[in-house]
Amino acid sequence: MLLSRNNLNRFLAFWRHFSGANAIHLVLVIFGILLVWTLISHALENPDRYLPSPIAVALSSFDMVYEGLLPSYFGDTIGRLIVGSIFGLALGIPFGLILGINRTVADMFYPMMNFFQSISGIAIFPIVVVWFGNSDKTIFIVILYTSFFPIAFTVLSGVREIPMKYIHAVRTLGGSRFQIIRDVLLPGSLPHIATGSRLSIGFAWRAVIAGEMLAGREGLGWMIFTAQDVDRTSEVILGMLLIGLSWIILDHYLLRPFEADTIERWGLVQR
Amino acid sequence: MPAKLVIQDLTHHYPDEYTGESVHALEKINLKVEEGELVTVVGPSGCGKSTLLNILAGLLPYREGLVTVDGVKIEGPGSDRGVVFQEHAILPWRSVSKNIGHGLELRGAPVEERKQKVAAFIKLVGLEGFEDKYPHELSGGMKQRCAVARTLCADPVVMLMDEPFAAVDAQTRITLQEELNRIAIATKKTIIFITHAVDEAAFLGDRCFVFSARPGRLKAIVDINIAREKRIWSEMNVDKEFLSSRDEILRLVREEVNVAIEE
Amino acid sequence: MSMASTLSVNIQKRIGRQRLRKFFLGSIPFLILITVWHLNEVFNWLEPVFIPKVSEVWEAFFILQEDCEGFSAAIALDQSCMMSTHILSSVGRVLLASIIGLPAGIALGIFAGMSRPISKVLEPIGIFANSISGIAWIPLAIVWFGVGWMTTLFIMLNTIFWLMFFNAMMGVRSIARVYEQSVLTMGGSRWDVITNVYLPGAMPSIISGMRMSMGFGWRALIAAEMIGGDSGLGFMIFSSASEFKIEEVFLGVIIISLIFLATDRYCLIPLEKWTVHRWGLVWKPH
Repeated sequence: MLLSRNNLNRFLAFWRHFSGANAIHLVLVIFGILLVWTLISHALENPDRYLPSPIAVALSSFDMVYEGLLPSYFGDTIGRLIVGSIFGLALGIPFGLILGINRTVADMFYPMMNFFQSISGIAIFPIVVVWFGNSDKTIFIVILYTSFFPIAFTVLSGVREIPMKYIHAVRTLGGSRFQIIRDVLLPGSLPHIATGSRLSIGFAWRAVIAGEMLAGREGLGWMIFTAQDVDRTSEVILGMLLIGLSWIILDHYLLRPFEADTIERWGLVQR
Repeated sequence: MPAKLVIQDLTHHYPDEYTGESVHALEKINLKVEEGELVTVVGPSGCGKSTLLNILAGLLPYREGLVTVDGVKIEGPGSDRGVVFQEHAILPWRSVSKNIGHGLELRGAPVEERKQKVAAFIKLVGLEGFEDKYPHELSGGMKQRCAVARTLCADPVVMLMDEPFAAVDAQTRITLQEELNRIAIATKKTIIFITHAVDEAAFLGDRCFVFSARPGRLKAIVDINIAREKRIWSEMNVDKEFLSSRDEILRLVREEVNVAIEE
Repeated sequence: MSMASTLSVNIQKRIGRQRLRKFFLGSIPFLILITVWHLNEVFNWLEPVFIPKVSEVWEAFFILQEDCEGFSAAIALDQSCMMSTHILSSVGRVLLASIIGLPAGIALGIFAGMSRPISKVLEPIGIFANSISGIAWIPLAIVWFGVGWMTTLFIMLNTIFWLMFFNAMMGVRSIARVYEQSVLTMGGSRWDVITNVYLPGAMPSIISGMRMSMGFGWRALIAAEMIGGDSGLGFMIFSSASEFKIEEVFLGVIIISLIFLATDRYCLIPLEKWTVHRWGLVWKPH
């Protein structure tokens, strides 16, 4: 699956993308930022506390990798993200489908979903902490809660957006209600399921980081929070960079291609 | 009296978007357009018609040759030349009347003058009752009417039209062509009309410039001596002069298309 | 015809059948939820430590506001007026961050989007800045500004700015060239192009950026108040939770949700209707 021809082509395109003029661009941008960063850092009175230079950050990363802390934090965070968002998606997709298929059910639950969605996973965190304490279970529930709504809403609107003519077409062929669901609504909403998954995982990612900080469970979020407590700013910045980079890699090289693939293959692109 | 628009020895190359190779679009174009004349430009696709129009509009800088309007060299876009684009280029976020008055607004014309002129042009193109509608609420034909009115209302010296009726349906196109003819009579504007449709070129033009395949050269000029007042499709379809001019243009264009295919 | 049925027909005519149906259907789950919540008090399925009484949540609002000495104290964010101070400081930060962050992000985004080379350089920066979500900045913000107003404001501002910047830039880039050309051929200046084409043309993208700003920004703000704040609704629910005052937590959560819903309903949706829908622009995400 991962090494299909499509993926290979994409990898090649990516390679070309970054070995051409764009790579020079990107390298220049990164270099420029590092330069400005170094200059500011040197201008400060107490750079170790406020803004350690890039070199200090790089050195701290060697330390942490050497001690084996960084890989283990990284693994913890990604593990939580995967488990939490898989459950969130597994609940959200069927829910969205049911709401999309049946208008009465949708009218009934939509306002309530809207209400709970607007609470946001982070805000329910204190409640969950009271219920389950500072445990992994708490973070898990917060992630699940956060990732449930984006996917449910996207799937709901996806089913609604399927052009009526497809439904009419199957109906004139003598399709039953069940057959319409199976042959039109499900495949038709696949692109939206892909889009929604990406959205959900994006929200879940933020929730993981916040959850780790608040619940004090080991991971990248926890790492930057505790490093701040003991004045190791270089580790804070290292953690931030890692959080940003891992999301870019996850989003641009896993989720986006998956989304684009699904839309391309199943897309009922009708505009 | 000197000609309104003069093109001398205009040659143009541009780099291809994908391959980066130099494309030879126009070769030694020499032509003159008189005041109040409506000339049409036809040629096979890729003959540099659009390049020519972009140069005339000032959107494309040129190096070789000279293009003047009223004796002044063209350097960049200006309100002396109005353009009706092929796509619907009226701004979606402005209502019909605001779109039509946009040129005057940009020039800082007083509100009263703007109101009067806009009302007059809305009447001219038959968009009464649609003043406050937004472009997405109009049909394709109405959008192009609005685009024509917008250009006219800015009162340019020369009006450039880049296949303006290519994207509307056949019925509407016929109506729009007759309407443009009527507008040409009413406003006596100097109009350069670019098209790939031979019928359209013969119907609208006082003269028709036929371009050759790439690199675009001025291959021939066909005169169409029919009074504007007589130009109505129901009559033109049986008019000998029209039919012979049309066949002449068609023959010239065909030759070029065949050349393009053989290459 | 009886009074009741006349009244019902009138109401239906006034509000519309569909909307009425939606309203009643939509209120069913809420009613069930509140009923179950009430029943919990009677049957004690769950300890009151975990689920407060409905009445307690209601009363908590007034208890928190009890010591307040009138309107002027509430406006002055006096510590005695706990409820209003928390609400006002959260809302105040959102407002302040929006007033600074929205125009700054939109303006810089438009300028960046006008030039392809510049936007190409800035695009990776935008992607990276947005991918370090607002929340991950909290520890560094605490280092820089200490616990309090500045940290929370910075987090919100940071989230809003980058989202707006990126969305405005991409929005400008997606505008068809022909609109720009048409304004130029009518004798418009660069500035005319910015105000007449770039700003309205990027509106769908800008508004979706605002939506995201509010969504991500609120979440980041709540988290920032919990971790690095000393006031605001996030701070309130977090500190109440650590004192096991669950009714205050519930109250805070409900208020957060209501404020969020209200901004969406009364600010963003009308703005979207007034611009994007009126102009018939459909925004396709890139």
